[in-house]
Amino acid sequence: MSTYYAGLLADIGILVLGALSVYIILVTNQLSLGNAGFMAIGSYVASFLTAEQHWAVTPALIVAALTACVIGVIVGFPALRLKGIYLAIATLGFGEMVRSFFLVFTPMGGSGGYRGMPHVSLGYIWIWAAGILLLVTLLERSRLWLEMRAVHDDERAAGLVGINTTLTKVGAFGFGAAVAAIAGGLFAHHYIYIEPGNFDFQRSIDFVLAVILGGSTVGAGALVGAALLVLLPEWLRFLADWRLAAFGVMLILVLLTRPQGILDRPLLALLRLRRNRAA
Amino acid sequence: MLLQQLVNGLTLGAVYTLVALSFSLVMGLLAILNIAIGELFMLGGYLGFAVIAAHFPLAAALLIGMGGAALVALVIDKIGYEPLRQAPPITPLLSTIGFSIILQNVVTNVWGSDPLQLPSGLFDRRVHIGSVQIGVMQLVVIGVTVVLVASVALLIQKTAVGRALRAVSENREVARLLGVSADRITLFAFMLSGALAGAAGVLISLHYAAITPYIGVDTGLKAIAVMVIGGTTSVWGALIVGPLIGIAEVMTIAFGGSQMRDFVVYGLMIVTLLLRPQGLLGARSDSGQPV
Amino acid sequence: MRTHLFGGAIVAVTLIAGLHMAQAQNIITLGAIVPSSGPFAEWGRSNTATLEMLEKQINDAGGINGAKLKIVILDDGAKPAQAANDLRKLAGDDHALAVAGPLTSSACEVTFPVANQMQIVSTSQASSKPGVAKANRPWAFRDTVDEGILARASVPYFKKTFGAKSVAIIYDAKDAVSTAIATKIMPKVFADNGIEVLNASAPVSFNTGDLDVSAQVTKLKSLNPDGVVIGADYSQAITVLREMKRQGLDKPVIGGTPLISSAILAAAPEIPIIAPATFYATMKTPKAEKFVATLQPLLRKTAGLPPDIEPSMYDANIYEIVSMYIDAIKKSGITGKASDLEADRTKIRDYMTNLKGFEGFSGSIGFNADGDASKAFFIVQGQKGAWATKVTGCSTGGSC
Repeated sequence: MSTYYAGLLADIGILVLGALSVYIILVTNQLSLGNAGFMAIGSYVASFLTAEQHWAVTPALIVAALTACVIGVIVGFPALRLKGIYLAIATLGFGEMVRSFFLVFTPMGGSGGYRGMPHVSLGYIWIWAAGILLLVTLLERSRLWLEMRAVHDDERAAGLVGINTTLTKVGAFGFGAAVAAIAGGLFAHHYIYIEPGNFDFQRSIDFVLAVILGGSTVGAGALVGAALLVLLPEWLRFLADWRLAAFGVMLILVLLTRPQGILDRPLLALLRLRRNRAA
Repeated sequence: MLLQQLVNGLTLGAVYTLVALSFSLVMGLLAILNIAIGELFMLGGYLGFAVIAAHFPLAAALLIGMGGAALVALVIDKIGYEPLRQAPPITPLLSTIGFSIILQNVVTNVWGSDPLQLPSGLFDRRVHIGSVQIGVMQLVVIGVTVVLVASVALLIQKTAVGRALRAVSENREVARLLGVSADRITLFAFMLSGALAGAAGVLISLHYAAITPYIGVDTGLKAIAVMVIGGTTSVWGALIVGPLIGIAEVMTIAFGGSQMRDFVVYGLMIVTLLLRPQGLLGARSDSGQPV
Repeated sequence: MRTHLFGGAIVAVTLIAGLHMAQAQNIITLGAIVPSSGPFAEWGRSNTATLEMLEKQINDAGGINGAKLKIVILDDGAKPAQAANDLRKLAGDDHALAVAGPLTSSACEVTFPVANQMQIVSTSQASSKPGVAKANRPWAFRDTVDEGILARASVPYFKKTFGAKSVAIIYDAKDAVSTAIATKIMPKVFADNGIEVLNASAPVSFNTGDLDVSAQVTKLKSLNPDGVVIGADYSQAITVLREMKRQGLDKPVIGGTPLISSAILAAAPEIPIIAPATFYATMKTPKAEKFVATLQPLLRKTAGLPPDIEPSMYDANIYEIVSMYIDAIKKSGITGKASDLEADRTKIRDYMTNLKGFEGFSGSIGFNADGDASKAFFIVQGQKGAWATKVTGCSTGGSC
């Protein structure tokens, strides 16, 4: 594999984690447009620990994830008061506030950015990406996930059958935030340089796009969406000046033809059937 | 200096008002965010520039800017929203992002990425009141904004179209039973929203006299905050909150906190969402539809 | 049928391989990373036209040591991640000998480490954020001059010309270069020159993309400075200048190299602008005049560029960078053969490191220990729609 594709693969791995962070929250019917904020927190915390405190990368990532998890829970509680697009807008505001904060937070470089982190390999990024994807896939078969989906489908009914909806929803925020933070930590140690501009609204949108394009009903959709989002702009290079417009057109086309995302349960079942038949 | 800052804040607030109203027409009616409104605003600015550069009067620029943006809004509704009406609201939100990307790219290819500037001397006239300077264009911006907002309010509250709009926003099915075509009303809302964004773009590009294909991004996000604080279903909310946020921003800068500006605006937005989700002037206790 | 297809495939493969071998012997590949889409599309597109012109000039004149020059140009959309992947592609897939770009400092920050990792020279045509090449030695270079050195020449001229005793600062807080120039580099030089910075403790800022800077300008005006420091790239500075003009703050402006462009001259022609430059389209040296005469018509014919565009400083810089690479290939015994790739890249690096007296547009160019250019510069004054050279200097202190 060429280094070029290795670089793209690293981007895909990081985006898979970002997409999963949105997916986990979305399962409980909460849309977050501010996960770049959690990513920024993870990125800066992990970088501080490795560059200033000389920690190894793995423990730094874990502490970054825990920090973001706590902040996610803190954000998750007031978020309970909001639903739908209003919650999405509130999280958008949260993301922008985090970015504005790091812009003036001079101990970590402010707008000048921050460097000094060790570099991590492609394999390391994918151990995390694959590990968390596997974890989410396993969770999807658990009772906990059923409860989360129940909260998604009918919150009141879920409450009536004894599911703690508050805990489920706030927990999803915490878990999602932690995953976004790991994406951020890996981003920082892959590019070995970060600046607040890396974590803008566009980044949050990329996460959501990857989930919705890939398929928002299955965790594996994040993988398909992330690959598409990273590779498509590369494959459209031959269009030169019209590359981005073409990307916009493709985006709309995919949404129109598969509003549920490329990967959904029927398609997964079909793929499984084929594989079984072949075997 | 304080008075001058007040004038600055009012002008900036007028922009926010128009773009926020543009957002709230679609949001209040359909509970979806049309992110491309920021780019319709930008497009309106470029169209206005082109008309003025061809030596037509300001009124023509306004008309073309509004008409052009409304036409693109029509396309967004037909392609980006209507087929996705049954999908969760996040899907049309993302399709409007697709349109944003396309519009930015097209405008960059047509007009370039460097700031497009009006020849100096055009719309530069100023009046002095004591130590305060007011540009004539600033007065035009504020005046046209008030007229447009009042017209939209009248339209929604007093006309048959307005009643149909409100009926659809209350309950699409009931509206259908009453003989209102929800699709046509939706299209109307999209186009009216586009026209307002276009008008804001024309006014602002002529006042600031320099625009780039990327001015819609941040203005759009700020306008969303204004819409939320004013109340997504209230026309008058935008008119009052736009200038309030404009003045809040300006005062933050005037008192040495220019770096805290965005922090203040988005913070206000979140506080509003938590304490008064219907907005300062919103009436309904509606806190949103499911995603 | 199957055998036919198979036979056809063999023929095709042989042909391609043959072609490939023939090419490998007489094609020299260089790479470039430019932002042809996104907010700096114009810079990237004019960079592209410049490089295509250079490629044609070289090949029309018989190539490099008999080999044909090929410049692979990739768009990064001014996105750091794409720039880093572009470099991987140029170095790994296209086997480029060296790379010109990326343009923005943010892109350089993540691309230079990759250049070091892959051991290929990468030279930025525009980045002037302090210390970016220095942090990524030995493969990273920048054909730009340290803003601190430039300020030490521009500020005394500013003081002498306008009798300025005090200045006020406004800057783009989202942009690293602008922030560094306005809040770190300039204030120190002002202090050394006995000029008071009226808002040193609380400089006024705005953010990239802001449409309205009226409150900031009113604030500046209330300080009643003799001059205004604008830390911003020219497209943002245009917004500030327009607002200064609207509010009647007709005070001379000083800033860093990011101010240099022809577009800024139209913003407020009556307000004088002082900035350092190593190139501007109307400068009067034979080399620059010839460059502009050839390039300008090409730029104006290019789709996606405005009809009145002039070559920018970054076009001149990327032209210089690739010309240096070509010079290195000619003089350092570089073969361009696949087997010599590593050695060839190292030779280019050594050429760049030891470069002295390369003839650029402003005079001779070399690189200092930080990887930044030592070259001649001008302090120019923009007024009434034109730039004029007022002071010439050399970034090494002596003469260039």
